[in-house]
Amino acid sequence: MRIALTGNPNSGKTTLFNAITGKIEHVGNWAGVTVEMKEGKVKPSLNKSGLQMSVVDLPGAYSISPYTKEESVTRDYITNERPDVIVNIVDSTNLSRSIFFTTQLLELNIPVVIALNKSDLSTKKKTMIDTELLSRLLQCPVVSTISTVSSKNGLEKLVSEAARVSQTKDQEPPKINFSGTKGKKADVRRFEFVNEIVQMVEKREIDSAKQTRQDKADRIIASPWFGIPIFIGVIFVVFSISQAWVGPWLAGILGGWIDAFYGWVQGLMGSGVNPVVSALLLDGIIGGVGAVIGFLPLIMLLFFSLALLEDCGYMARVAVIMDRYFKKIGLSGRSIIPMVIGTGCAVPGIMASRTIKDERQRRTTAMLTPFMPCGAKLPIIALFAGIFFGGQGWIGTSMYFLGIVIIALGGLMIRKMNGDKSKSHFIIELPEYRIPSVKRALLSVMNRSKAFIIKAGTIILICNALVQLLQSFNWQFQVVAASAPEASILASIATPLAVVFIPLGFGLWQFAAAAVTGFIAKENVVGTLAVCFAITNFINVEELSLAGGAAGDVSVVFGIGAVAALSYLVFNLFTPPCFAAIGAMRSEIGSRKWFFGAIGFQLGMGYTLAFLVYQIGTLATTGELGGGFVGGLIAVVCIVGIVSYLMIRGGRKTVAKPAKLSI
Amino acid sequence: MSLSNGELRESYLIKAIESIDQEMTDFLFSLGFYSGQKVTIISKLASNYIINVRDARYSIDKELAQAILV
Repeated sequence: MRIALTGNPNSGKTTLFNAITGKIEHVGNWAGVTVEMKEGKVKPSLNKSGLQMSVVDLPGAYSISPYTKEESVTRDYITNERPDVIVNIVDSTNLSRSIFFTTQLLELNIPVVIALNKSDLSTKKKTMIDTELLSRLLQCPVVSTISTVSSKNGLEKLVSEAARVSQTKDQEPPKINFSGTKGKKADVRRFEFVNEIVQMVEKREIDSAKQTRQDKADRIIASPWFGIPIFIGVIFVVFSISQAWVGPWLAGILGGWIDAFYGWVQGLMGSGVNPVVSALLLDGIIGGVGAVIGFLPLIMLLFFSLALLEDCGYMARVAVIMDRYFKKIGLSGRSIIPMVIGTGCAVPGIMASRTIKDERQRRTTAMLTPFMPCGAKLPIIALFAGIFFGGQGWIGTSMYFLGIVIIALGGLMIRKMNGDKSKSHFIIELPEYRIPSVKRALLSVMNRSKAFIIKAGTIILICNALVQLLQSFNWQFQVVAASAPEASILASIATPLAVVFIPLGFGLWQFAAAAVTGFIAKENVVGTLAVCFAITNFINVEELSLAGGAAGDVSVVFGIGAVAALSYLVFNLFTPPCFAAIGAMRSEIGSRKWFFGAIGFQLGMGYTLAFLVYQIGTLATTGELGGGFVGGLIAVVCIVGIVSYLMIRGGRKTVAKPAKLSI
Repeated sequence: MSLSNGELRESYLIKAIESIDQEMTDFLFSLGFYSGQKVTIISKLASNYIINVRDARYSIDKELAQAILV
């Protein structure tokens, strides 16, 4: 049998889903975390019925009526797939809004069980709910649940009730006196019916309209004066923990282990092994994958901090603070949520843009979110900041701020190109703040680290091995001499591409190859560079540069200067993201024209920025322009020309559209 | 008058939602914003209002507050 989990946004459906299936789906404390349905099996320890039970977690909805697109996933699933039981998760601190949806569900002729969730919170707020009376009035079982704790949480009872009602099928919907009204008028009657029920079953000692400490906190956290500085402070702390304070220290330890492993395997093989095989294993696989894995501590800490941030209820407040500014660039305050999530990974970030109702805002958010450097780009930042800039923190921080500047510019340009001047309205539910759960954050980190390690052990391993083979052999499949790597297959493929990058300062085939493998996964950039230059330890670069004097060993091996390195960094961060993120972009954008426009825009942005960084940087440091200036200038002028033309055209076709809803 | 002119910490009964967009009024309706419903202004933060409707807190922008007649 199949159970569907339904309920208002942020009522705790996914937390309950995780608790009864043992899965680790993404949860957060704001409305609209889940945008796609998820399926799982009920844990045997909870399922005493002997029935096969699967559970479907659906995105939150406020009503079954076809009012908004977001709710259509839920409505379509329930009406078309007809699950055997609906478990309606009701936020017990918010009975009066939630029960409206419940009464609609009860009329679908599918057995319903109510999970009165967050019952610990309602008790704390001195709200008493007479569950027996509620159950009698709605004629369906009501079970109090606390899905955030692991025992005495009511989940076993919930599952057994679900199993029971699936067998009986004798539920009758409550009689609401619609007295012949239809549509909205009938739904007003429904609200009145809900009011009567709530009045009977709920005893609130504290009126919800009264000011609380949370409201006081909001007046500071979401205030126009302190909001932005607090947000910058929070983000600074998140990135500093992962990239400056704790992350590099842990990465150094891990890097030492990887080095030891490399040495151990090297010793094990001895000198009798074929040099091509040993290079493939040592430099290609251990070196390439190790270079990526070495950055795992940074990524884990980033995910951990982000999970805490999402869990505490702060995200909705950030949306409120940013709305004023984002409106000016044609986005919604909600657009900040995908961007913050995107600093972890662009794929869930882009998917989070689905909760933005306005089509243009949603598409623009989906195409701009990848400009926030993601976790997989962290190694690139850390590597280049470490080698060329002595590991200075400002390189990393400035990349995030550059990302924000690009998003602002991009939003303005897209708005101009699109010619849509419509205003939109903003409403967002403010969830209650809570102390974030370290346990949930750790689970989330473990889950995502596992995915990262699997990726490193599969896609990245294969890519690195392939890169190693392609650079070991020439087209006649002879082993290339170490002194002439230009003869390799890889070099001959990548060299024509590298020509395009001459105006950007990194027209070397190794860098071109790494940029291309970066589209498969951004971690590959570091992996491929490690393989191409046969460097195994990217982490302890301080030691390397100390050993090699002021210039540093690795930067000499790379054969480019600091300006070109910065340009390469900018290019990799602000070009189109990896294929997975591009796929997510395509499905959220849902229009070929917009999608290809987005890719073109991202390519143009990356190229133009890298060109500017390299040429201006070279001019400033040496007093001369960098190589390939004329060719690059022509390309950049073309890009700017196309964008300007589209913006002017967009300006002409402007039609004043009515204001739209943005939530 | 519109909710944007309302007093802090005061409760009002919604009279009407000035329709700007059907999708918006429908969505607000599903949250319980209908005529006769009580709404309380919790905070005013420059261009944003924090309000309480049916035991839930929402942040709305000034334009939306202007569209809610009380």
